[in-house]
Amino acid sequence: MFDGLVMVVQLILLVSGCVFFALGSLGLFRFPDTLTRIHALTKADNLGLGFIVLALLPLAPSFSAGLKTLLIWVVALAASATSAHLVARAVRGGITDGSPTEDNND
Amino acid sequence: MQPALASPIATFAARAVFFAGLWWILTLGAPSAWGFGAVVIVLVAWLSVLLFPPSIHRLHPLGLVQFIAYFLGHSVLAGVDVARRLLTPSLAITPGEITLSLRLPEGGPRWLLANTLSLMPGTLSVHFDNNLLTVHCLDTSVDIEAGVRRAESQVARAFRIPLAPWEGAQS
Repeated sequence: MFDGLVMVVQLILLVSGCVFFALGSLGLFRFPDTLTRIHALTKADNLGLGFIVLALLPLAPSFSAGLKTLLIWVVALAASATSAHLVARAVRGGITDGSPTEDNND
Repeated sequence: MQPALASPIATFAARAVFFAGLWWILTLGAPSAWGFGAVVIVLVAWLSVLLFPPSIHRLHPLGLVQFIAYFLGHSVLAGVDVARRLLTPSLAITPGEITLSLRLPEGGPRWLLANTLSLMPGTLSVHFDNNLLTVHCLDTSVDIEAGVRRAESQVARAFRIPLAPWEGAQS
């Protein structure tokens, strides 16, 4: 009974995680310029990965393995926030990345 | 009220303990990994003291826990917010930028705030200029500054930095 409940919760978390990843990618197509696209990628992927990590926690064979899974999320967050900032700064600094952007209007 | 600067040796020891914890996690506690690990931990802790000398701004456990709770809650809000805007047929965004003057001191606290803002609802840190932070917003019609100030005070609490109250909106 309890195992079944955990599995249902895991399933929901995994599916929501994938949905948020998909939404983050959809943001790349729907949002109009580089900066707004970064918004979609950082926030949606942060949440997507968080849900997937949560879903995988009950499967961790040991306490340290669980912590390692959490660590993956923390490191991915730091990398995502840092690269988001660097890309944003590059766009603002006038370094274009070759993709069509509409960032030059202010 | 200014806390004392930690000595390099104390900082080295504290960071070595932290890295030992990380090593334990990475190697899943395998005993055979500790020989190599001890060398790596000492080298990395030593290098970290050289690259990032001891700072007067240290994270405090209780403040850090409160910050994490705030961060997790707002991560969910941020993801749902961006998803909602994406799925609205008319694409509910009015992007823009605001520049704010920060009350946090330089170094770790500002770095944490900038990275936090990039993951919080509707904000993305773009540019630092002395104590001025430029934030790109997905929707300029909501009160961006209130959100930034809340994040700022959360960061300040994690570091136990007293902040002067902010006065109204400043564009």
